[in-house]
Amino acid sequence: MFDKEAFTLFKFGKKLNQSFQNRRELLDCALPALRDLFKLDRVYFFDWQQERALLSLNMMCKKEYCMDMQEDISVLNEPEFLKKLLQDGIADSTDLNYPAVYVLLKWKRPSMTLKDDDVITVMKDSVGVLRLERFRKNRVFHEAEKKLIKSVAGEISHNLTNTEIDQAKNQRLNTATALNDLATIFASSLRLSDGLELILQGVQKYFRFDRVRLYQTTYDGSKIKTILGVDISGEVTRQTGDDLPEDERTLLRDIFDSGATYRTIHNVVYIPLKVQRNKVGFLTFDNLLSRRRINYLDFISLKQFSTQIALAIDNAALFERVQELSNYDELTKLPVRRFFNEKFAEEIYRSKRFDLVMSVILLDIDLFKQINDTYGHQIGDWALKEVSRVLRTSLRQTDFPCRYGGDEMIIMLPRTNGEEAKIIAKRLKDRINAIAIPDRYTDGERVTLSISQGISVFPQDGQTAAELFEKADKALYWVKDGRRGTFALYRDVAEEVPQ
Amino acid sequence: MILWVMPDSGARTKTDYKLLVELFKKEYPKADVTVQVFTRNILWKKIFTLKNPAAGEVIPDLIQIPHYWTALLTRAGVAENLSKMDPGLSLSSALYPLRPHCYKPGTKDLYSYPWWFDMSALHFRADHLKAVTSDPEKDLEEWSGLLDVCQRLKDHFKDIDGYFPMQNSDWRGSLSTRSAFMEIWGRGAAMFTPDLRGTLIGTPAFKEGMKDYMTLALKNYMPILRERGSLGTMLSGKASMLISRKQGVASFEGHIGVRIKTLPVPRTGEQPQAYLSGMNLMINAAGSDKETALKFIKWCARTDNQMRYAAMMEVFPAFEESFEQLIFSSSQRLRTYSGILASARTLPNMTITGTVVEILNKILAVSATQIVEGRFTQASLDIELDKAAKEVEYLLSLYEG
Repeated sequence: MFDKEAFTLFKFGKKLNQSFQNRRELLDCALPALRDLFKLDRVYFFDWQQERALLSLNMMCKKEYCMDMQEDISVLNEPEFLKKLLQDGIADSTDLNYPAVYVLLKWKRPSMTLKDDDVITVMKDSVGVLRLERFRKNRVFHEAEKKLIKSVAGEISHNLTNTEIDQAKNQRLNTATALNDLATIFASSLRLSDGLELILQGVQKYFRFDRVRLYQTTYDGSKIKTILGVDISGEVTRQTGDDLPEDERTLLRDIFDSGATYRTIHNVVYIPLKVQRNKVGFLTFDNLLSRRRINYLDFISLKQFSTQIALAIDNAALFERVQELSNYDELTKLPVRRFFNEKFAEEIYRSKRFDLVMSVILLDIDLFKQINDTYGHQIGDWALKEVSRVLRTSLRQTDFPCRYGGDEMIIMLPRTNGEEAKIIAKRLKDRINAIAIPDRYTDGERVTLSISQGISVFPQDGQTAAELFEKADKALYWVKDGRRGTFALYRDVAEEVPQ
Repeated sequence: MILWVMPDSGARTKTDYKLLVELFKKEYPKADVTVQVFTRNILWKKIFTLKNPAAGEVIPDLIQIPHYWTALLTRAGVAENLSKMDPGLSLSSALYPLRPHCYKPGTKDLYSYPWWFDMSALHFRADHLKAVTSDPEKDLEEWSGLLDVCQRLKDHFKDIDGYFPMQNSDWRGSLSTRSAFMEIWGRGAAMFTPDLRGTLIGTPAFKEGMKDYMTLALKNYMPILRERGSLGTMLSGKASMLISRKQGVASFEGHIGVRIKTLPVPRTGEQPQAYLSGMNLMINAAGSDKETALKFIKWCARTDNQMRYAAMMEVFPAFEESFEQLIFSSSQRLRTYSGILASARTLPNMTITGTVVEILNKILAVSATQIVEGRFTQASLDIELDKAAKEVEYLLSLYEG
């Protein structure tokens, strides 16, 4: 026996038997098919907002075309209609003065959630409603027709579930591919700051956030060191933590401490960056301007990806620490000779390029061997520490001191002529002369430290590092020859030093 | 060329645009034009993804935007510099209030071009009002008078099933921010302070203005969240008044026997206020057929074409000559709209204006549900507005200008 309902469903199903990228594409196909099948004047698709008992119109299909439309209908005050729709899946309109029925669509959509850092997929219920309209009053929907409409709605619901699953799969795949690409770019960046910049730009581009920001904090998370951001124009900005307005600093501290990370209402996501117990910083993504809700799947994907970023930042911080250790002398905390030579070469280049002057002071501690022999190496080390402390605290920020070897130290003085260098040398001499060896080592006798200093000036005394060093050394030699505790500018004593 | 527009003509939008495109193609037969219609809501979301489209995603060449999105889209790098594309392009013939909203703020570079505009006014059925007042012009001067007339109409037509004194002009059949601006401005408040560096959203005047507008729904003078098809209109006799930004006159004129009159929106303060919203055209910087898009912009700016689409969409042409032609074509129009235009205000063209409208719309959407559920309180609305004010201050600190 011919089953008309089964045949109609088969024909309808055939029309929908294709792959749809998203719900809109499916509805673009299903609504006209429904319209033709039941000879309707208009078909509408509504989203069902459960919490507000609101039908929100999404799409309308009339004779010639389908298009987006907006209309909100509250069904709160129509309990009978609501009960019938939810119970029977179909209900006649109570208000319209032409035949119209509402049909419920129920489908499933995959939803991701995080449990102990594992992504779990659960299927959640979704509800939508179709409104089918005929404008001629006598063309009412008969019971048999309503039964068929419900069956067809079931077919659409089934297709909606499949489309949602396909869409979620594609989305996950695309996200994974994008993050993989970003990780590759990150890994191939030579400098951390470049890599982070590329990552932030990539994240903003792929996830289409209004703003992306990376806050780097101290290990205890109490202070924001720097902020790297990409704004809506794609432009990269850098700020230090001190530049932040107070209210923003407070806001960020609150968020960091509360551990809240996914704030859908405010269209902002915060992801703390931690390596073991150390806080490295946090990432924020916001859609404050567009008010678009941040997808939970995007949040999960970025949360997982953030581990790589945290590790990279932490590694970079460790690398900086190692570099610091290798560049500085452990005893005096002054830069070592290799580091000084690099900076010295750079400064000579700069001075030549911009036609600037610079000076060099070479110094050593007077009678250092004697101090060691008389009072022991402990006092020798103490003397070195004290002299370097004076150097570190007495020089300008642009000056660059270095422990050159043994008790010999050298100071680079950019943009400083010979006369200015002599003022600095005098200041050092006076401050070091004021340091006395602790009297418990000297049987109560007051023994003070002193230094001898030789000065050379670029470009008058030499145009290379070797020439400048040589001239400063000659001046120092001249001082040490019976004039200990003083200083000399090479050109002042050039005629007296052996050439 | 792909053109994104909003459904300004309701269900007949696509048909209207089909006609418009056919006219354009008569002059440019080689132009391939596809029109895609999106609601304002969806268009708002889509404009933020234009700069970074997903693989295979269709992007437009030309977009219809409210005038106050220009600054945002310029800042986001989505809008093309029209002055660069055509240095001869000028706003000299555009209506004066529309001009500042086409530039990138602080520059003389055009990033969008006027298309049409709408302007709020109160339309009413003369026969209905005659039954409850002998002098509607006087009674409808002030907002309190409007509410009084609404009550009298409600009583008078109580036997007509489904009758409401006011027809709801909001697209969604809900409450909309754009309908509340006149009442808010009348009370002396606005979205932003005069120097545009702060907000007035949390002020008592703003809250009062919002309350004025919402009274229409609270007292059941205007339907909200109902099936649109179930509601009557002024023309069907199930409503007597309508505050609309559309021209109105064109659609009303065709109905013999129904006399519609137009007045300024009743004032809540000293002066009447009118809301003027320009619709502009913007070329997508990443579009692939920007040349056709520019041709379309220039074609739309021509007087004959402006008159055509303005009539089609029941809106006002954005250029002086065509606007004057429309206004002078009817003495009623001339009398009514020249006065309304003089009091018209626009929303400022700032980066965050669109966002603030979204925030306020969201608040009103929740309020509308609460009204229907019978659990709305002024206190809860005030709290939401205070929160919104803080958020807007924060946004202003992030996005100046």
